Amino acid sequence: MTNQTVIKVGSTATGFWGKFRTVLARRTEGRAIVLFAIIATFVTVSQPLVFTAYQVTLGRIALIGLVALGLTAVILMGELDLSVASTLAVSGVIAVTVANQTNMAIGVLAALAAGVVVSLINAFFVAIVGINSFIATLGMLFALRGMAFVISDEAPVKLENTDLGIAFGQPLLGPLTPRILIFFLIFIAIQIFVSRVKAGREFLAVGGNRQAAYDAGIPVKRRIFTGFIISGVVAAIAGIINAVERTSADPTSGSTVLLASFAAAIIGGNYLKGGKGSIVGTLIGAASLGMLQVALTISGVQIPIQEIFIGGILLIAVITDPSSLRAVWGSLSTTFQGIKNSLAK
Amino acid sequence: MRKSRLVLAPAVMLAAAALVLSGCAAAEEETTTDAGSTTTDSTEEVAETYEVFALLPQGSDQAYGTFYVPAMEAAAAELGINLTITNSQYDGDKQASECEIAVAAKPDGIILWPAVGDAVRPCLEAAEAAGIPVTVTNSDLFDADKALSRGYSGPDTYGQGVSSAEIMCELVGDTPVNIIQLNGAPGNSTAIDRDNGFTDTVAANCPNVTILQEESTDWTKATAQQVASEMITAQGIDNIGGIYAADDSIAAGAIAALESRGVVAADYFITSIGNTFLGNPLVVAGSLDGTVFQSSSWDGENATRLMYAVLTGEIAAGEREVKFMPSVKVTAGNASDADVAPEW
Repeated sequence: MTNQTVIKVGSTATGFWGKFRTVLARRTEGRAIVLFAIIATFVTVSQPLVFTAYQVTLGRIALIGLVALGLTAVILMGELDLSVASTLAVSGVIAVTVANQTNMAIGVLAALAAGVVVSLINAFFVAIVGINSFIATLGMLFALRGMAFVISDEAPVKLENTDLGIAFGQPLLGPLTPRILIFFLIFIAIQIFVSRVKAGREFLAVGGNRQAAYDAGIPVKRRIFTGFIISGVVAAIAGIINAVERTSADPTSGSTVLLASFAAAIIGGNYLKGGKGSIVGTLIGAASLGMLQVALTISGVQIPIQEIFIGGILLIAVITDPSSLRAVWGSLSTTFQGIKNSLAK
Repeated sequence: MRKSRLVLAPAVMLAAAALVLSGCAAAEEETTTDAGSTTTDSTEEVAETYEVFALLPQGSDQAYGTFYVPAMEAAAAELGINLTITNSQYDGDKQASECEIAVAAKPDGIILWPAVGDAVRPCLEAAEAAGIPVTVTNSDLFDADKALSRGYSGPDTYGQGVSSAEIMCELVGDTPVNIIQLNGAPGNSTAIDRDNGFTDTVAANCPNVTILQEESTDWTKATAQQVASEMITAQGIDNIGGIYAADDSIAAGAIAALESRGVVAADYFITSIGNTFLGNPLVVAGSLDGTVFQSSSWDGENATRLMYAVLTGEIAAGEREVKFMPSVKVTAGNASDADVAPEW
């Protein structure tokens, strides 16, 4: 079992182009790479500042992509985790509240623990009780949002050690800030887990055909727990980073994160039904989205127009999927055949 | 082996891109410096134009922003300012990212309307480090951060709460009255300031007014109606004599909640803030006893004018100018006057 989509591409390909086609057919990131190239070209021509101020662009990619990376672990199994945005908010509030009373290290641990607890509850309802993950995590989304307000007393919680927060937002390695470095470290960790570790590789099997995964002896419930823990902990890390970097934890934080994360995963070629996709794809999706958002922001393009751009790219990502294209082609062929037959009569 | 290459490829590409881009960045830095000198030389002949970023939390997606942004743009066109306007939709993290972009673009100035008051310190520090002046609009900064900005223009949000409370106190007189209080969105600095202004003034001027319960809303009429209805149920309609709402949309929702219980809103002491298209007719009709005029066009226009004053040196370096919007009380006596005609 690998993390690549296995599509039957006919007999063994030979020659460079044959091998190239085989690789393209096996990967789900093909469309994402094409979209990335188109967006990069557009951005290079229209707003080169996106590249010259690349540390800012990387920061935006990390902002969008971090939660998306964790979310992909769940999506690969055909599940959804809508609670990530609220997990982000509540973990930030917990981190800063506890840090103000003790120290930052304890605050971070408390927030990570909260992320684990949230994921365990989500996974319990999905894997043990059997509730649809959309519904279970939707409930958690509201519950955690309320909890963030209660803990924060309905107001942003200021980090008392402001200097620490300001320092955290400064470049640490070359032009790279801790947020960007953590983002890449998490990408590498999840990528290795999903592609190299047996438990991770089984995510795709669970998403592809759950019954077959059961029959093959894969501990499906345990894998679902693992996926939700990855998603919850990564969302908690994102919440901690946001709160520390902004020197304040906002209970309303993450309001735009959920849709952006799903968009990054979908643009990256991940199937919401599970079984197909990759962490690399999500990285490319987040990079495409981040670059586009920075370019549009610099251009002063208003939010409704930005949404049209992003929606358009999402649509392109979905309709250019080979199975969608085959379905469209099949439908068109049937229609034309019907017209042809009618005319012949 | 092939899998390893596929996994490593994006990382290698990103690293290579970072190296190439850092080269581009250095080149760009030199180019910008040169371009800067050229601009300075030519300013003697051509009227100077300024590049300004306006980091707003709303735009045409909200009623206030719909009138705020055109006024801001009109003033910019008049004063020779090229505005780049962003809208963070009240997401503090998004606004922080937009601020990083703005600082990287090296504009002449940044106009900031804080999405979350507590979260703007890093943005202000980054702008100061880059030598970019920042002015604040609509919701002022917290005291600890004010030194990092060159001025504020907009409503006196605390004063608006005070004015609304003064209307309430004047109406109530010495009669003991229980009221419920509906605030704006949780964590929003305008909501917090108005809340503080109202409660401080009630405590000082009319302690006979008791606030039975206060709850947050999301500034919308629909949510306010639901929240007010729940508060009325919790406290009992007979125990409530009045309502304070943080803005007119909230007041309209609270009035609808009262009327759905079969009572007449005019029999209650109700005050709010905004004097909007929704609130002003309620004052004229007598359902709302008073509101406080807030001009979205004044707000947008003066945000640009304040930045212009900073850029042209009218406000000297090291000084901080504060320009409050007049907070006119609007009651049945003046609600139909032309000078308080609603704008949004």
